[in-house]
Amino acid sequence: MDDIDAMFSDLLGEMDLLTQSLGVENEPPNAITSPPEEVNLSPGFTDLNESLHELEDDDLDVLMADLMADLNATELKLAVDIENLKVPPSSSASQPPPATLPPAPQGLSSYDASILPSPVSLQGDVGTPSPSHLSPLPPPQHAKPSMEEIEAQIKADKIRMALEKLKEAKVKKLVVKVLIKDGSSKTLMVDERQNVRDVLDNLFEKTHCDCNVDWSLYETNPDLNLERGFEDHENLVEPLSGWTRDSENKLHFDEREDKYEVFKNPQNYYLWKKDKQTLKDMRDKDKELLIEENFCGTSIKVPDLEGALYLREDGKKSWKQKLFLLRASGIYYAPKGKSKTSRDLVCFVQFDNVNVYYAKDLKSKYKAPTDYCFVLKHPQIQKDSQYIKYLCCDDPWTLNLWVTGIRIAKYGAAFYDNYKTAVKKTSTGSAWANRITSSTSSSPSPAPSPSLSDKHASQANGHATKPQPGPVSQDMGMDAPPPPPPPPPPPPPSSGSFPPPPPLQTSSLPPPPPLTHSSLPPPPPLITGSFPPPPPLTHSSLPPPPPLTHSSLPPPPPMQTSSLPPRLPPQARLPPKPACRAKQPPGPLPSPLPPPPPMDSLPPPPPPPPFPDDATEAPPDFLPPPPPMTSGPASPPVRPPVVAPPPRASFRGGSRNQSLPPPPPDPEFLPPPPPPISISSGGGGGAPPPPPPPPPPPPSGSSGRKTAPPPPRRTTPVLAGRGGGGGGGDGEEGNFMSELMKAMNKKRGED
Amino acid sequence: MADWDLSVTVEELGSEAPALSISVTSDLHIGGVILKLVEKTQIQRDWSDHALWWEQKQQWLLRTSWTLEKCEIHADASLVFMPQHKPLRLGLPNGATVRLRACFSGPVFRTLLGICRILNIRHPEELSLLRPLEEKKKKKERDALDEVYDLTEVPLASVSQACLYNGMPAHFADSPQTEAVYRMLSVPQPAPAPELISKQYRAASVVDKAHINSRWLDSSRSLLQQGVQENDRLWLRFKYSTFYNLEPLYDVVRLAQLYEQARWAVLLEDVDCTEEEMMLFGALQYHISKRSLSEPQTVTSNAAMDDLETALLSLEVKMDGDSNTANDMLDNMAAPELSDYLKIFRPKRLTLKGYKQYWFKFQDTGISYFKSKEESVGEPIQQIHLKGCEVAPDVNVAGQKFVIRLLIPAPEGMTEFYLRCENEEQYAHWMAACRLASTGRSLADSSFQSEIQSIRSFLAMQKTHGNSSVPAADDAINPHSLVSPRYQKKYKAKQLTQRILEAYQNVAQLSWNDALLRFLQIWQALPDFGLSYVVVRFKGSRKDEVLGIAPNRLIRIDLGVGDVVRTWRYNNMRQWNVNWDIRQVAIEFDGNVNIAFSCVTADCKIVHEFIGGYIFMSTRTKEQGDALNQELFHKLTGGHEAL
Repeated sequence: MDDIDAMFSDLLGEMDLLTQSLGVENEPPNAITSPPEEVNLSPGFTDLNESLHELEDDDLDVLMADLMADLNATELKLAVDIENLKVPPSSSASQPPPATLPPAPQGLSSYDASILPSPVSLQGDVGTPSPSHLSPLPPPQHAKPSMEEIEAQIKADKIRMALEKLKEAKVKKLVVKVLIKDGSSKTLMVDERQNVRDVLDNLFEKTHCDCNVDWSLYETNPDLNLERGFEDHENLVEPLSGWTRDSENKLHFDEREDKYEVFKNPQNYYLWKKDKQTLKDMRDKDKELLIEENFCGTSIKVPDLEGALYLREDGKKSWKQKLFLLRASGIYYAPKGKSKTSRDLVCFVQFDNVNVYYAKDLKSKYKAPTDYCFVLKHPQIQKDSQYIKYLCCDDPWTLNLWVTGIRIAKYGAAFYDNYKTAVKKTSTGSAWANRITSSTSSSPSPAPSPSLSDKHASQANGHATKPQPGPVSQDMGMDAPPPPPPPPPPPPPSSGSFPPPPPLQTSSLPPPPPLTHSSLPPPPPLITGSFPPPPPLTHSSLPPPPPLTHSSLPPPPPMQTSSLPPRLPPQARLPPKPACRAKQPPGPLPSPLPPPPPMDSLPPPPPPPPFPDDATEAPPDFLPPPPPMTSGPASPPVRPPVVAPPPRASFRGGSRNQSLPPPPPDPEFLPPPPPPISISSGGGGGAPPPPPPPPPPPPSGSSGRKTAPPPPRRTTPVLAGRGGGGGGGDGEEGNFMSELMKAMNKKRGED
Repeated sequence: MADWDLSVTVEELGSEAPALSISVTSDLHIGGVILKLVEKTQIQRDWSDHALWWEQKQQWLLRTSWTLEKCEIHADASLVFMPQHKPLRLGLPNGATVRLRACFSGPVFRTLLGICRILNIRHPEELSLLRPLEEKKKKKERDALDEVYDLTEVPLASVSQACLYNGMPAHFADSPQTEAVYRMLSVPQPAPAPELISKQYRAASVVDKAHINSRWLDSSRSLLQQGVQENDRLWLRFKYSTFYNLEPLYDVVRLAQLYEQARWAVLLEDVDCTEEEMMLFGALQYHISKRSLSEPQTVTSNAAMDDLETALLSLEVKMDGDSNTANDMLDNMAAPELSDYLKIFRPKRLTLKGYKQYWFKFQDTGISYFKSKEESVGEPIQQIHLKGCEVAPDVNVAGQKFVIRLLIPAPEGMTEFYLRCENEEQYAHWMAACRLASTGRSLADSSFQSEIQSIRSFLAMQKTHGNSSVPAADDAINPHSLVSPRYQKKYKAKQLTQRILEAYQNVAQLSWNDALLRFLQIWQALPDFGLSYVVVRFKGSRKDEVLGIAPNRLIRIDLGVGDVVRTWRYNNMRQWNVNWDIRQVAIEFDGNVNIAFSCVTADCKIVHEFIGGYIFMSTRTKEQGDALNQELFHKLTGGHEAL
């Protein structure tokens, strides 16, 4: 045990380092280089303090949640891992313990399941699925084999953990303020690994916009009168880091028609020489063909643009007309008196190191012939300089042609991939909307889960995943019921964490779930089976991912549906939501979630009937099974209040049970009782339980506070969920570490 | 029925031997004739590949069940009995000549399928055979010079679906000779000597290019029908510029040959490109040939994987120790250090100050410099962040000048620095570090060493060609081998090295395969890529014009000015017809647009095949996989033979 303690303290030390590094981030860690290059950590603000002042309470919470969620995720993971590490030794020392301890919690729950009616069984089922948690469990299994294996396993785990943490610690984050069309603004945290697509998804969630492909994030530079839309695949942090400390640059979130216009009307770009009428009458089939020819081959084709543009002479105020040509390799011009054959062309600029910007009002500023100008410059150049190239077109259409052509040449396949992703996103969003409008009963739950899983797969850490789930849920949320869906997925994972132990013993983790509850599982599988088909329709890609990434996800929906019918749909929903958010990122957290599932489990019977109906009506509805429940509660007004209660409940629970997290959920949900038991037992038994507790409290606390603001609803719950991990009941992030320690100690003491 | 004598020449008896005369009746079928013939020769051998060729009519008698009467063969016919598969010398895109057995009796398209199967090239429909340019003088000399790779011994029956053996299709693994052939096929050739490039025929104008297209063989008739004899020389080339589903894993030979064809198209200015593009092509060629020497066809290991492994390794080592604090681990993963005395020069307006010496230290992706080594503990005089900067060499080996030019982006614009190194070694290290840093990678990156290596070899390239009397080292490449004659004349080797080196920055990190694909992509992105020209006379027009045939459209080019006059896209095409009697092609497009033209430089069958071929290429889909719809191809390209 000493070893373990030593290890634990070591790990804590590392975590301290981590937290420090996170804390420091507000002050540019890299004060390197010349002053101008210093990184401004709060783009959109003149200084950091201002940025902090500007943050609304909500925003602050969000930011904290963002910050802490990462920490929590890693810490929880660590905690779980540590617990796991502990387990092996104990098992080796006393053979029976390993088996007994893990099973104990599970055994309880499973027993309940068997004894209780089908609903209970569902719960058990839910618990088992969490695949993500399985990994930690392995150690116990190996314990029996041999000490060396155990050690090897421990070492491997430690290495993995350490690597993860190192990665996490290095991540740079920025607080950014995004201006929205209506004059308001949103403040959000962006980390280095997020690309613009992620941030857009995040904003979709925050702003309830329609998610169409035109939504774009763009920067404006008032010093130079420039404006540039970020491409979806770009990392946001990098260009923002290039802004100067006193930069007046702004970040905007708005619809820009030109963002993907080339994919909607490729003929306007690739056949621009043809007359307007033929272009207008272009058949869709021919448009598709154009896209295929130019973007789907082995090489991306750039529209062959050529024309006279005005070039601003270096340092002078005069503009000179030249014949410019666009090629994949750059912009060229034909020198006076020479032909425009390739060999005579002079290279004007290549695109490796420059970006293309729209320039505004250069007519007055630099006496440009027209106001339709674009600029090519290195992204880090922020002031007027001889290294900025100014070009001026005759009309807005030519300007669009050139800017788009340059983007195609510069970004190539990534440009088209971005568009495809954006379209996918839109269809998801609209699909939800349709579903909701068409049948209130339908629940979006299935869809969200796929999307979530998808993200998970693609993104390494909780960071990315969080924002993404958010958007999806948001879309739905705007319409009404959507929120519920997201929650369901999370619970399964969480619950899954507990159950895993038993499966482990049996042999392979995945199989266990079915084994444990043969009777119960059937319902979920059936449901899931029916659901899957619909998702494919909406998103062919989505359905498969969920199962792969989180086996747990599919099950959740069923559970939810079941739970909803019973009663308290709103409450049930709300709690799960936060829980799911919080938990999702940190695989290990699951413990809080489990409780909800149990509740769900009771109702299961009712849901099934609705599903079939939905299915027959429309595939999309399928997924919704949960929605029915949600839809009922979904009515926007109702929700907010609903939300409030859960948190409180959780709080109470927390007070009752010393371990904050587990109790809250349990009290709220009637069925939970069994789960709580299992949880507590699990906590006593080993690692898994402890981690969960922390997460639950925070959500409850934050949500409780926020109950009031209806519009923010969605965001708030999300925040709460995230904050949950870090904030703790008090919402004081600073205490998080100590809280965690307390919880851990308690756990240990119980043992 | 009356017997009559039919005279048949049997090739096996030798060209001097008199024709055999056999007695036949008109209702005897071809199979019977062959049987009689074989009996009469009294030669014991496998005759299964033999068939009768009717010389006067220039046609094969392949339907053995047809009677002589049905074939309209009478006593005056002179037939030849010969094998259908004969050796053919094939000039490959890479310039090598391979000798293999090809089918002389089937349509060229089918012959081509066989050839590509032997050579292991997928999607043979994209290739075709054409007659080589006549080389007027010293033809025999050339023949002697050309190394011929012999594949005639490869049993055709053994050529099956590519099952790999020793990393190559089984039929190449039979003997060391065939293995060598496979290596020739699958690895790009070393850069050709500059003289070789300048000596080769270059199409100077669009009309010249149009003439090349008159050489394509008719894919619906057999080789023998088109006058190709045993051991004749033909070229194998990619004809249709739509390369379907290039897959480095399966297309080793196809990619290598495509690259060769592209390289020669660039070197011979077959396709126009700008100077910058030429330098990039040069850099890629350099990179590819370097990589083919060092790591032929091996997939370069994944850099990210390397990183992870080294990180894991160092972590593990640490874990074995007692103290495993995060600090230790971080220390352990720190990048290698690079520091030295260098001279720096910062050009500013109105300053004439020269280089000043400081102690330089490379850290992460930046450089800091100090007054001296002793003071390097304190605050640096300046730190320069290199991420996103432009790095350019300014090197003259003979003059012992090793300068790194740095263009550092800053909010106010770009700041210029010159770093002067003392010697090659120092330069190679610092240059490599700067290059990595400009792309955001630190010295810890696994590619650091290879980067240093490639810079050294570039310096070597400059050295060996500073004075041409020194024999080039084995792996040295003459920069003049990498560009077309136009630039050979325009630039001296030194200048050229400089230019290519600049372009090389952006591609140095590519793996062999990626470099190859990049070359092909840039080639395909050229505006004139994929255009096959034919001089035509449009109906109602009095002058010759040029028709450009592209994968997706036809363009009409004014011969005088060289401007594109009109463009018609295939997807607007309603139908096209060829009037074989007056040799005119007529095409109808949507909206009642009709064009008709006769072909001046090429047979209208060739134009017909191009159009039909491209339409066929566009019908290929992922679902059908590699299966080739031969019938459709024949329908679209066959012309009247297809009917």
